[in-house]
Amino acid sequence: MQVFFQTLVGGLSLGAIYALVAMGFSLVYRTMGLVNFAHADVVTIGAYVASTFYLSARLPFVLAMAVAIVVTGCIGVVIERVLRPLENKDFDLMLIGTIGFGIVLQALAIMVWGATGHAVPSPIRTVPLEVFGVHIRTYDLVVLAVAGAAMLALVQFLQRTKRGAAMQAVAMDHEAATAVGIHVGRSNAIGFSIGAGLAALAGGLAGPLLYVSPTMGASLGIKGFAAAILGGFGSIPGAIIGGLAIGVLDAFAAGRFQGYSELVTFLVFTAIIMIRPTGVFGEKTVNRA
Amino acid sequence: MRYRVGALALLAVAAWVLPYRLDLYAVHVVDVAIVFALLAVGLGLAMGIAGQINLAQIAFFGVGAYTTAILTTRAGLGFWPAAAVAIVAASLTGLLVGLPALRVQSHYLGIVTLGLALAFVNWITNAAVAGGAEGISAVPVPPLFGIDLASEYLYYYLELIAFAVALAFGLFVVRTPLGRRMRAMRDDPLAAAAVGAEVPLLRMTAFVLASVYGGLAGILYAGLIRYVAPETFSIANMFLLLAMVIIGGRRSLVGCVVGALGLSLIREALADFATFAQLAYGIVVVLTVVFAPTGLAGIPARVRDALRHHRRYAAESATLQPFQPFDPAPEASTVRPAVPVLEIRNLSKRFRGLKALDNVSLIVAAGDIRGIVGPNGSGKTTLFNVVSGLYKATGGQVLLDGEVVSGTRPYRLSRLGVARTFQNLRLFGNLTVHENLLVALDRTPTRSIWRYALWQVGVWRHDHELRRQADELAARFGLENFVEAPPGALPYGIQRRIEIARAMASSPRLLLLDEPAAGLNGEEVRQLAEIVRSIRDSGVTVVLIEHNMGLVMSLCERITVLASGAVIAEGTPAEVAGTPAVIEAYLGDSAIVDAAEPITSESAG
Repeated sequence: MQVFFQTLVGGLSLGAIYALVAMGFSLVYRTMGLVNFAHADVVTIGAYVASTFYLSARLPFVLAMAVAIVVTGCIGVVIERVLRPLENKDFDLMLIGTIGFGIVLQALAIMVWGATGHAVPSPIRTVPLEVFGVHIRTYDLVVLAVAGAAMLALVQFLQRTKRGAAMQAVAMDHEAATAVGIHVGRSNAIGFSIGAGLAALAGGLAGPLLYVSPTMGASLGIKGFAAAILGGFGSIPGAIIGGLAIGVLDAFAAGRFQGYSELVTFLVFTAIIMIRPTGVFGEKTVNRA
Repeated sequence: MRYRVGALALLAVAAWVLPYRLDLYAVHVVDVAIVFALLAVGLGLAMGIAGQINLAQIAFFGVGAYTTAILTTRAGLGFWPAAAVAIVAASLTGLLVGLPALRVQSHYLGIVTLGLALAFVNWITNAAVAGGAEGISAVPVPPLFGIDLASEYLYYYLELIAFAVALAFGLFVVRTPLGRRMRAMRDDPLAAAAVGAEVPLLRMTAFVLASVYGGLAGILYAGLIRYVAPETFSIANMFLLLAMVIIGGRRSLVGCVVGALGLSLIREALADFATFAQLAYGIVVVLTVVFAPTGLAGIPARVRDALRHHRRYAAESATLQPFQPFDPAPEASTVRPAVPVLEIRNLSKRFRGLKALDNVSLIVAAGDIRGIVGPNGSGKTTLFNVVSGLYKATGGQVLLDGEVVSGTRPYRLSRLGVARTFQNLRLFGNLTVHENLLVALDRTPTRSIWRYALWQVGVWRHDHELRRQADELAARFGLENFVEAPPGALPYGIQRRIEIARAMASSPRLLLLDEPAAGLNGEEVRQLAEIVRSIRDSGVTVVLIEHNMGLVMSLCERITVLASGAVIAEGTPAEVAGTPAVIEAYLGDSAIVDAAEPITSESAG
């Protein structure tokens, strides 16, 4: 039983990271109808920038994270601007364009930080809490709290602010949105940069939990995407549920199937997509993918 | 033509003497490049031709290579028997990876196939039988009539022949009925289904084709390197392969080959600057999708277009030839059978809360021209969508010649003799007018694709016959001047006529025309009326939705009026025009006077 809960706690903390990645995917999808395949590599860049500023520049962790979010936000703006001619024309080409950016970002990461990774010490060095024999690291709680706060903020932004509503309108009908005076390109750029910022948040927080390397984004990215699908693509609360679910599935699969955990996760994920493509909280706001 | 044969012969000779000019290492590089070219052809077939995003091509490659390696080293099988099993294993993997394509498309399909490719890598890195991270070494040299294939020079010729055959087969597929259907499905799956393409089966076929090419590449790779390890089948290499196809031009197999060979050689030249090479090809991919979506293969056509700008204008101003009426049906068949061609019983269609169709009943006798009118949003197009199988009815039945067909898939309905046009024109944009007709003319079921594997001559003859029919049909509809043009470049009126020609290409018994006169000028409307009458006289029953009341009143024997999803009137034009409910719901009082006028006076004025 103790092992069960320990696995659960570990799964939830990684799940919160997946949830943050999933939120980035979902936000871009919800505002543009596009799946950003470069998202995974933006996560990597975010993790590297945050850990570099934290370790080498000796900035406080929070400040290092802020720098990472700004840097990746700018990357998001660049990606959106370059691919803008394809927006609302050919989504398959746009998808391939984001893959191209992913390749570029990964190469840049290797050039700047080298092919080998580095470990990041936890910024919170308190003794783990012990609840009924289960060790809970304070850092895990912080990660969960950040994911929750990010979700609340995003939902508020999309539902309560004029800008958020406008961004969703663009995804539903870009022509109608233009007709009522929304600048579609600017709206997409904002969506993309917030998505990239969320990627940096996920990558930065994942640093102390995992090992920062040029390929860390690939696994985080695809699991984050699986989480987004599971929760219902485009749904922000769904991303949290999906992220935690994938995290827990992953943790138990790792315990049960050891090296084959990825195989199991992807097969389960494929089965879910085939049974229910709209996910658990599926909303049909955008019908493009 | 002679010029082409000459170029091909020259290329063959160049390929044959190439090894004499290369040192051992260079031959090795070329050998690996050919393997990637094979992979790229497979990926091009799935992505460029069939429009199925496939990020698992590298896994098909891996299944081919690993099956060969495992069977030869662990089970003691000979190389070629193992290779045969490997092809089967790869195509089964193709079926498995293709399954999600039945449910999802585009981005979702991309991520699922990518996930499955990662799952494969995960399996080979962990499974003891696959040798884990170290992989499998000491794969035996393939024996071949005493030819020593351990020599990479001789292996080059084996690869060259396999590659030439595979590429020729790929090009054959693209230019014959199967490839045309796939391209039609890529451009517009709905319209492809409506002209009889079995979209699910075609998607699976695309994945199986891709996987066979992947498997073949894997076998050749295992025989060449004689060592397999997980890193060869990584996602990084998948993306490299994708870059080859995109940069070369995904819609042209030759483009894919050029991209694969070029990028392989460049990567080898930059082997010491691998990261810079990766950065460079990533940037080139981004630039390609933004500025040259058709890749290198599309550049000649773009240059030609730019140079011949005024000649294309000349083609656009070329006029439609007059329509040549169909032969009227023989007397015997004009005796009306007792069973109506189309019968709709209490049909309902609900979209969540919205009742688009509410208990609609309708009988269309053979040889009728039936008009369906009604205000916007009254459910006319929904009715067509249900009858042609695009929507599933919530309740009620559709009968064709007395047989219940509701719930039948669109391609089956097309086979049963239902053809339709679309309100917003759904022509296959990247096919020529000629090919648009060819896709609909082909009535063979997709399952007869076994002939591609076993009886290519039959396929070729069939294609030849279809082309003859397409020329005939194009001439009948006066389209000879435009057969080689992409439909999107033609004026609207001509596109409308192409859609009717395409619908008639499937030799239907029931033709559904959705607003065929929308956007046409007076003269074109007159021609349309002539065409529709001729189609009816040839024995086809016609149902048309139309807002042009002049046309409806003069053309149709009976008219059905829909409002808010329900039938509010039915009868002859005169009867309908006098029904108070119709006047209230739709026509308005002053409209009657104009509407009752015959169409000839409209075109004269």
